[in-house]
Amino acid sequence: MSWSINIACSDRRRLDWKTGISAVLALVTLTFAQDVSLRPPVGANAGNPSAIGTNGSGSATLYLVSPSVTVKHDIELGQSISLSAKELQTSGRYIAIVCASNCNSVSFFVAPAKPVNLMFLVHPSRAPVAQSDAVSGVALAFDEFHNLVLSPVPVQFQLATKGSSPISHNAETRDGVAWFRSSSGRSAEPLQVTASIGGDVGTRRVVQQVASDPCNLRIKGERTSKGIVVETEPVRDCSGNPVPDGTIVTFTAKNGNGTSSVDAPIKQDVARATILAKGPVVISAASGVAMGNEVRIGGGD
Amino acid sequence: MSQTPQPEAVPFSSSRIGRTMAIAALVLMAFSGLSVMFAADSAPQVTLSVAKAGPREVEVLTQRSVVRDYKFAWANLNLALQSNSTAPLNGLLVGPSAAWLNDSVTSQRRNGITSRYSNQVHKLDAVFYAPEGDVIELHDTAEYDLEVFDGNKTIHTEHAVVHYIVLMTPAADRWVVRQLQSVPHF
Repeated sequence: MSWSINIACSDRRRLDWKTGISAVLALVTLTFAQDVSLRPPVGANAGNPSAIGTNGSGSATLYLVSPSVTVKHDIELGQSISLSAKELQTSGRYIAIVCASNCNSVSFFVAPAKPVNLMFLVHPSRAPVAQSDAVSGVALAFDEFHNLVLSPVPVQFQLATKGSSPISHNAETRDGVAWFRSSSGRSAEPLQVTASIGGDVGTRRVVQQVASDPCNLRIKGERTSKGIVVETEPVRDCSGNPVPDGTIVTFTAKNGNGTSSVDAPIKQDVARATILAKGPVVISAASGVAMGNEVRIGGGD
Repeated sequence: MSQTPQPEAVPFSSSRIGRTMAIAALVLMAFSGLSVMFAADSAPQVTLSVAKAGPREVEVLTQRSVVRDYKFAWANLNLALQSNSTAPLNGLLVGPSAAWLNDSVTSQRRNGITSRYSNQVHKLDAVFYAPEGDVIELHDTAEYDLEVFDGNKTIHTEHAVVHYIVLMTPAADRWVVRQLQSVPHF
């Protein structure tokens, strides 16, 4: 006895019995292939267990494709599939794929958990005093699983120096980010900058406020046997802070023959130089954008 | 005795040139076809708008660098997930995004799964650029064909439109992706 099946809608070839049975089985499989319907978790949060609902019966394979891990489990259809807290740590889009006779999938989102950590970027590390918009900071709120927390979070920025009351600036994160910009203080000292969430989570940075450019540069000079010795009065910025040692002051001497100049660094608030010049000279000084007074020194005859 | 007429002699060099040109044309056509296929499959298209960026203005050179490095990051992310190797990442992802991708690759390899992100189109909007330029936040509306395979069997295919919140920071010679977090909407 031999088997043969005519497939009328194909090219009317006679097929052998093995091919025929395969075709029938494929048809049967297709007919009975069930579409598994999946119910994704609603309002899932990072680090909290959840579940996916399924219908149908029999065994199947679950694939969970998350932003940070791909898992594969054997499951029983008709029961809810438990998703552990560990499997749901990363915020983002998850795809649950269930394969029985065919594969069905569903996607869902996991939201970040509550903020417990702040990434706080403050610039610069050294800022001149009394400068507008000299200090800025950016705070980014993260949960314990390093997910950026995207819901608005109130952040308090605080700027404090020794012996003065702190200045607070309240902001709210937008897409996980809050920021501020502020003027520097008037005295050359460390500025403590803190960002905190709800008073609990705080991160501190320090900005060293340094003297600004010299202000009101004043010089004096006298002729000695070695030349004309000129020196500045203690050099300070416009807020009265001593300018750091090493700041350069340029002394310029003019006489009938021409001009000569010499650079001298500030040492213990004062810059000093000796100028070799004969006859009457006019000496001036400059540092940065600050110009000093002029000193007239006679010929010394 | 009749003589068979001889065909007109064709200069050897000209016939050879003709054949070479024909082969060259075929090779060119094949390569152009391949390059189109390859471009469609592997090279992500990335555009950036900085109209909403602030408080700092995004400089033109920065815009170019961000686009270039984000494109590399996605191309290499796809390679990593396709080959189940972290070698292609090449330091373009750092921090949490690198850790997550490493974990993804490891778990895919353990389970015999691979995935492919093809025909990628990324529309970036810069929404925050820090005053000192040390972090940029982008909104990426990404469109791609995602395929997931268990061995050689395709278990999932979809054309997806996914929104990503992206944090990039400047490194020595490039911008690196520090956070790549998908969200339901912006």
